[in-house]
Amino acid sequence: MKPSPASLITPIVGLSLLARPVVAQDLTDVAEIVQRANLASYYAGNDGRARVRMTITDARGRNRIRQFTILRRDQSDGGDQDYAVLFSRPADVRNTVFLVKKHVGRDDDRWLYLPALDLVKRIAAGDKRTSFVGSHFLYEDVSGRSVDEDEHELVETTDAFYVVKNIPRDAGSVEFTSWTAWIDKTTFLPIKMEYIDDAGEVYRRIEALDVAEFDGHPTVTRMQVSDLRSGGYTISEFRNVQYDLGIPESVFTERTLRSPSRRWFSVR
Amino acid sequence: MRFRLDLSHYGDRFELVFKGDLSADGVSREMDIDIRQAAITLHPTEWLDLRAGRQVLTWGTGDLVFLNDLFPKDFVSFFIGREDEFLKAPSNALKFSVYAGPINLDVVWTPIFEPDRFITGERLSFFDPSTAGLVSATSMGQPLESFLPPKKFSNGELAGRIFRTLSGYELSLYGYVGFTKQPLAFDLAADMATHSGLSVYGASARGTWLGGVANLEGAYYDSADDEGTDSNVPHSQFRGLAGYERELIANLTMGLQYYLEWTQDYDELVANSATPQFEPDEIRHTVTTRFTYRLRQETLMLTLFGFFSSSDEDGHLRPSLTYKRSDAVTLTAGANIMFGDDVAFSGQLKDNSNAYLRLRYSF
Repeated sequence: MKPSPASLITPIVGLSLLARPVVAQDLTDVAEIVQRANLASYYAGNDGRARVRMTITDARGRNRIRQFTILRRDQSDGGDQDYAVLFSRPADVRNTVFLVKKHVGRDDDRWLYLPALDLVKRIAAGDKRTSFVGSHFLYEDVSGRSVDEDEHELVETTDAFYVVKNIPRDAGSVEFTSWTAWIDKTTFLPIKMEYIDDAGEVYRRIEALDVAEFDGHPTVTRMQVSDLRSGGYTISEFRNVQYDLGIPESVFTERTLRSPSRRWFSVR
Repeated sequence: MRFRLDLSHYGDRFELVFKGDLSADGVSREMDIDIRQAAITLHPTEWLDLRAGRQVLTWGTGDLVFLNDLFPKDFVSFFIGREDEFLKAPSNALKFSVYAGPINLDVVWTPIFEPDRFITGERLSFFDPSTAGLVSATSMGQPLESFLPPKKFSNGELAGRIFRTLSGYELSLYGYVGFTKQPLAFDLAADMATHSGLSVYGASARGTWLGGVANLEGAYYDSADDEGTDSNVPHSQFRGLAGYERELIANLTMGLQYYLEWTQDYDELVANSATPQFEPDEIRHTVTTRFTYRLRQETLMLTLFGFFSSSDEDGHLRPSLTYKRSDAVTLTAGANIMFGDDVAFSGQLKDNSNAYLRLRYSF
C-alpha cells in the first residue's frame, strides 16, 4: 500500500507533540509574559536586600560613585511594595534615606530624609522619569514601571528570548515613543531593554551583564544603562543579595527615614 | 574657611554621631568651633528611640518657612549665603520618639533655652524703630545682645509632635512651650531686648495632589501678654501656610507657598505702641516661589527661591548655581538680594544684599 500523505505527516506530528515537554512550550500570551517578567524583576521572594554600587561615567570618562543598601518588601506579588534606600557614599549624601511606597494604579508616595537639616522632604510623584541620584537610571527603573502603563505586543520569539514591544498608554507622561524588552525565556528576566524616541532611534539601552541565583531566585547582579545620545552610562552592581529576611512593615516608615534601623540595613 | 569633622559609630542598640565645624572668619577675624552634632541615640525597645546631646532638629511642612518648628534657626547664615543646612542651628536637647503602631510621638526637651542666632548688627544691619533708622554693631558700639531667661529648670523649652500617615497623607499635631526665639520683647529692668513667654499649638497635613505635593499648616502663637496691651511683649498671632510643588517639565520643579501672619488685638497694639508708624500690618501676606532646574545628570543645578510680601512691599531673592565637578568637589555661586522699605522684614536688610562663591571639598 502506497502511504497516503496523511500517514507521512502523522509520525512527524506525533514526534513534535512528544518533543514539546522537553523544549519548554513557548508562551504566546503577551500579558502573561509581561506579568512574569515583572514578578521576576521586582517581586522575587517576599522581601529582599542588596548592597548596590553605581558607577556613573560621563561622556568624558569621569566617574562618580553612589553606594547604598536597598530594602524591599512586597505587600502582594505584582501589587504594592515598599522600598527603603540608605546611602553610604559619597560623603555628601551619607545617611540620606529614600523611602517609596509604590502603589499599583495610583501615584507612589516618596520621601527623602536629609540628615544635615534633619528634614523629611516629600517628593512629587510626577517626576518618576527623572534621574535617580544623578545616575543614568531613572526612579522608575529602580522600583519598576507599572505593567498597566503600556500596551504590550509580542513581536518575536527567538530561541532564548521573548521580544516584547511596549507602547505607553499616556504618551505625554514619558520621553519615549516605545520600548522593547528581550525577556529571557527561562528566568523571565529582561536581558536588554531599548527605548525609542520620536525619530525612531534607540537613544537609551539597559542591559543585564551578569545574572546569578540567590535563594532560588535568578537575579541581575550587574546592569548597565547607556545614554546613547551623550555617551554616558551607569553600571550598577548588586552584592550581598538576600531574599525572605522577614523585614517587618514598620521598617518602611518615618522612623526609618530619621533613624534607619541598622539591624535591617547592615549586611552581615 | 570651614573645616568639618564628621564621625559616627553605629551599634546594634545605640549610635554615636559627631559633626563639628572649625571655621576661620575674615569678618570677625576669629577662629570658631561650632559643634553641630554630638549626640547618642539609644534604641532601648522596639518602640522607643532616645537621642541625647547636641542635635539639629526639624519638623513641619514649610520650605524655608517655619510655623510649628520652634527649633533654633541661624538667620545670619541664611542671609549671608552659607549653605542651607546652616539655617538650622543645633540644640542641646533630649528627644524621645515613641512609635506606637499607627500613632507616633516625638517629645523634645531643651533644658536651657536656645534662641535663634538672630541679626545682631555685626554682619548685617537692621532697622531699629527707636532710632527710626538702620543700625549696625558699629553704629550701636557693640552687637545686639538679648537678655536671656535665667537658666532655671522651669525656663526650658518643651516641644511635641503627634503624627501618623493615613493613606499617604501625613497628619501632625504640634505643641510648644518656651519663649519667642527672636528677642521681640523688651525688658525694662535690664534695658535690653528679651524673649518673652510663648506657647504654640498647631497642625499640618501633607500629601500628593494632582501629580505634585501639597501641604497645609497652621499655628497659633499664644503670647505671654494676654491683654494685648503691653507694648514690650509681642502679641499673639495666627500663622497659616499653604504650599504646592510639582514638576513643570522634565527636571524643572516649581514650588509655591502662601504664608499669612495675623496679629491678634491689633488695635491695642497700635494704641500702645511707642512707634505705631513702624508696626507691621495686622495681616502680613508672603508668597514664596522656588524653581529648581537640574541639568547634565544632576551635576548642574539652578535654583531661584523668592520671598515676596505684598503687605510689606518687600522681598528677598536667592538665586544659586551649583556645579558638582566630582563626588568630592562642589562649586556654588549665588546671591541674596533684598529689596523694599527700611521698615519691612526683608527691606531693612537691603543694604546687606550679597553675592557669594563657595567651594566644597569632601572626602
